[in-house]
Amino acid sequence: MTTTTQALWQCCTAPFRRARQQTPVPRVAADDPAADVRPAPPSKLRPSDRGSPVEALLAQERYCLLLRPQLAGSLTVEQCARAREALERSMAQIPAGPVDLRQNEQQETDSDALEQVEPLLLDRYPVTNRRFKQFIEAGAYDTQTLWDAEIWPMVGEFRDAGGVAGPRYWRSGRYPSGEEDHPVVGVNWYEAAAYARWAGKRLPTETEWVRAAACPIQSADGKLTQRRFPWGDAMDRGRCNVWGSGPSRAVAVTQFSAGVSVGGVYQLIGNVWEWQSGDFGAVDVDGRPLELPGPMKSIRGGAFDTYFEHQACCSFASGENPLARKHNIGFRGALSLCDVASLETRNA
Amino acid sequence: MLKQTQQPLASLRLIQQHVNQVPCYVCGSGNSYDTELCRDCFAPMALAHQAAAQKVRPHLLAALGSSAAGKTVYLGMLMDMLSRQPERLQLLARGAFSINMQQSATGALARGEFPSKTPCEPDGWNWVHCQIRSYGRKTPLELILPDMPGEALLEELDHPHTYRVVHPLLAQAVGVLIFIDALRLEQGSLDEDYFTMKMLSYLAEVHDSSRPDWSKRPIAFVLTKADECGPCFDDPAAFARLRAPGFWRQCHERFGNYRFFAAGVVGGCAYRSRRYGRQRVPLRVEPRGIVEPFEWLVGQLKHA
Repeated sequence: MTTTTQALWQCCTAPFRRARQQTPVPRVAADDPAADVRPAPPSKLRPSDRGSPVEALLAQERYCLLLRPQLAGSLTVEQCARAREALERSMAQIPAGPVDLRQNEQQETDSDALEQVEPLLLDRYPVTNRRFKQFIEAGAYDTQTLWDAEIWPMVGEFRDAGGVAGPRYWRSGRYPSGEEDHPVVGVNWYEAAAYARWAGKRLPTETEWVRAAACPIQSADGKLTQRRFPWGDAMDRGRCNVWGSGPSRAVAVTQFSAGVSVGGVYQLIGNVWEWQSGDFGAVDVDGRPLELPGPMKSIRGGAFDTYFEHQACCSFASGENPLARKHNIGFRGALSLCDVASLETRNA
Repeated sequence: MLKQTQQPLASLRLIQQHVNQVPCYVCGSGNSYDTELCRDCFAPMALAHQAAAQKVRPHLLAALGSSAAGKTVYLGMLMDMLSRQPERLQLLARGAFSINMQQSATGALARGEFPSKTPCEPDGWNWVHCQIRSYGRKTPLELILPDMPGEALLEELDHPHTYRVVHPLLAQAVGVLIFIDALRLEQGSLDEDYFTMKMLSYLAEVHDSSRPDWSKRPIAFVLTKADECGPCFDDPAAFARLRAPGFWRQCHERFGNYRFFAAGVVGGCAYRSRRYGRQRVPLRVEPRGIVEPFEWLVGQLKHA
């Protein structure tokens, strides 16, 4: 086994080993949003590169694995540049800062209630059917290391309508025709977490998600101002896909570009709910405790069928059984900035 | 000590009752013009006044189901959706009282609660009189739709004529929405099966000379709370056949024009502790399968 292959294997199977490097990644403006969710073009390949593990990972858009500090040093300059280009095209940088996670917007901002978020990278788009198909085709449903230990015995049950491993609303390993760029739905929390792990990412925490969506700004006197929606404080059904916006179903992840967040993240509000990494806090909008019927993971952002606008805003959280495979819940990946090697590291 | 009493003039009361009587829209009993509820069946007399004023005879549509099956939530949500997003069907409420149901249902849901139970007393029931416009239909459809509590229906099934509005309503209704709690069925409760069988049995015995038998009138079976029963949305009819075989067989043998639907209003539920037990509350509102049963019924009326 070569050094590169060994390093790759470690990155794919081992948990994150955090390196304290916080080099900012410049954001790339997306002129053609649809291009960001298409597979990267397999150009500039030398014949010797074809079939190499690095090229396979780049073709699968698993650039985050290549940019791990442990691995980036063994890439060629060209490979590193391509991985970095893919990362900048697909992920937005969210700066560090405070977040108020309380749902009741009428409450006074209390500095004790604020939580700090470390800088991170967040997928610009929810994971699409096309991307998830790559995950399945890579044999992820048969790879034990990708799955949480407690769920591995059940993974064989996660099948589509045709009885093949995959999202609930697919049929025999195929997503519905014409929906390659739609967010993948019908996947439970464990499938979402496994995909994120396979891609070298993780699911975002609630604080990270709210930080990306609400664009909090802390004034000199410590008061925090957060937006209700990524574009401002008033609901605009033309900027997001919720009930009453028109489509009445999930749409491609590049649509509703007018609702993009300050950092350039699409569809944080509407289209599909997004699995978060943590448990649901079990409180209602007024902070009153709720008794849950079972374990629940947090979901945020609302979906195409979310009826009330206050349930499709940045501060609202809901919960869902982590095993539920619903028609309106998808996910996107995140990555702490400290888990990405800087170009300086590579060049050194 | 003096005791004040009021003695209405008997002659005045007799005049009020027998001159210019207005027949109740549901049961046909005569009522004085200023009566609010029919003195016989307690249906609101506003229905009769509106029908007379508009010179259009509205169709009656019944909504039946066991207690806490989700009738009020469904009907309130349906009315609100159709009045807000006029795509396939447009709804125009007739009279302020027709907006009460959607206001109370959506208001409660927005606060993170389910609407309070519909009272058993007929004067507390919600009635909706509305105009429905749909594509492919030249003239709008006038509909009257009451929200009756499950307890009252059960009482009427066990002791006929306890609630006098039920029989004439079903006799005249052009179609019916029957609500079945899919969650209770999935949890193995037989009560839901028995209740629906009773309801179908009652329905099959209701006759009206001016209308065809219920074997020909359209019946939409709505499996409510389907969002919490995974397989229900995939094939509601198969779900009913599997989980409520008694009801399924009776339906199959006695009725000819029916269809099964799955509906859900909330995406998830939790519980809130109260002084007396715990209260089920919705986590979020995401209506699914709400318009389809009603749209099918309206389509059937088109052919009627």
